[in-house]
Amino acid sequence: MSNGNTQKNYTQFLLPAFIGLALVYFAALAKGAIFPFILSAALAYILSPIIKYFEVRGIKRSYAVAGLYLGAGALVFTVVYLLLHFLSFELESLQQSWPAYAERMQQFVTNLNARLVKNYPFLVSLRMEQKLDHLLGLAPQFILSLLPMLTLLFIVPFITFFMLVGGSGIIDYLLDHLPARHAEIILHIASRIDGSLGNYLRGILTEAFVIFLIAFGCLLLLNLNYAAVIAILIGISSLVPYLGAIVGAVLSSIVSYLQFGAIMPIIKLLAFFTGIRFFDDWFLQPYIMKKAVDLNPAVILLALMAGAEIGGIWGVIFSIPVTCIIKEITQIAVELQETEFRWKPKPEPTRISIPYT
Amino acid sequence: MKLLNIIGRIYDEEILSRLSFLKGIKLFEGIKKRQLIHVLENLQERTYLKGETLFAQGDIGRALFIVFSGRIALSRLDPATQKSVVIAEVHPGEFFGEMALLEEMPRTATAYATEEARVFMLFKIKLESLLFARPNIGVVIAAQLAKILSARLRAIIEKP
Repeated sequence: MSNGNTQKNYTQFLLPAFIGLALVYFAALAKGAIFPFILSAALAYILSPIIKYFEVRGIKRSYAVAGLYLGAGALVFTVVYLLLHFLSFELESLQQSWPAYAERMQQFVTNLNARLVKNYPFLVSLRMEQKLDHLLGLAPQFILSLLPMLTLLFIVPFITFFMLVGGSGIIDYLLDHLPARHAEIILHIASRIDGSLGNYLRGILTEAFVIFLIAFGCLLLLNLNYAAVIAILIGISSLVPYLGAIVGAVLSSIVSYLQFGAIMPIIKLLAFFTGIRFFDDWFLQPYIMKKAVDLNPAVILLALMAGAEIGGIWGVIFSIPVTCIIKEITQIAVELQETEFRWKPKPEPTRISIPYT
Repeated sequence: MKLLNIIGRIYDEEILSRLSFLKGIKLFEGIKKRQLIHVLENLQERTYLKGETLFAQGDIGRALFIVFSGRIALSRLDPATQKSVVIAEVHPGEFFGEMALLEEMPRTATAYATEEARVFMLFKIKLESLLFARPNIGVVIAAQLAKILSARLRAIIEKP
């Protein structure tokens, strides 16, 4: 009898295991094709609270998604129009002043190299100038390699639309077909992960946007050229912890040197970006990320490096959310070991000696 | 008339019925209907087929269950006879398992569906986030929870 039961227990996992393995095999075979779907799923996950906001207020899901796309479309159109308006001036001025800047940069590097070689002759063996030439030669190739990423800008919103419209149906189906006895624990784990990961993702997007606004405003006040371009790059790089301020400091220092040719504006900019870093750490993060997973800076660094090693630039972008999931799952696993598998003694219920009166 | 038709097509009647349903739940008594939207946002819905177990006696509790439709039976193992005895039947509009919202302790009964049932689950973690994010709603739920527990306690003491 018990043998029969054990056999039944094992056989019930055969179909889910087979489906799981088939999905993994398919994902490995069609890695390239699946990538836009992973990005779309991530975007749909980030956008889903907005859809739910309208859904619980009585708006049908399909209309809520359509409304969101129309609203986002109008917003993106306005932002792109305004940015192009700013950028066109800046790109035009960059086009005109680029030869002079390039010459000054080359001269700066040549002078620096000559001075260094004079003081430290062993640096000749490093052949820095040839390496710089090689790097500059690689730049156009790198920019061309980024072009396929532009197609994602069109494919991802398209797939996300259908995921948002039909996604809830699939999730409801899966929820209703979870093993009934374990539904409570599975949903508990899912809501824990959703709580911390969702807060992290939405928090970091808000943080990046706030940093973009502050940087744009301050760079305009400091009268720095290409403020819009630098602010956009700072905003995007802020999605990776600690990178925003570094990118901002380096880029604006270079532009400031080329524009003013003096050290004082660079010091002002460095002070400003140090201020942004502290503002982010002391005010923005405690307020925005208060309910997200708290990751140690050393863990963030390890995750970023591991992400870069495994998946390049996309690996870096996904490394922190994945680390959030791993940390939450580890915490839940330890808790489950303690409660479900009795690693720790049974928790004592709260007892009060005074009777009910 | 045409405008009303368009609004009717955009508006989801099911959500309205769910909100009206929540308005009648004792746990949410005193919460305004427009505030119940935030409660609904934090509820998880699931259908259990006839005979399916929601949780078993001894499992660690993590959610409160509100019956939306169908019926759920609660049974407890009698230590003397080692037989399972049905101690209560939960109908639409009633809820059970509220102890899980207070402490993660083993369940004192087994719950199973006696007919196909749709239930709402309120997880401890969601109640906590509601308490911090919307204290005006959280406080009402916490007060109602205390009242309900007090009533249960009184019922046990006054049992002949």
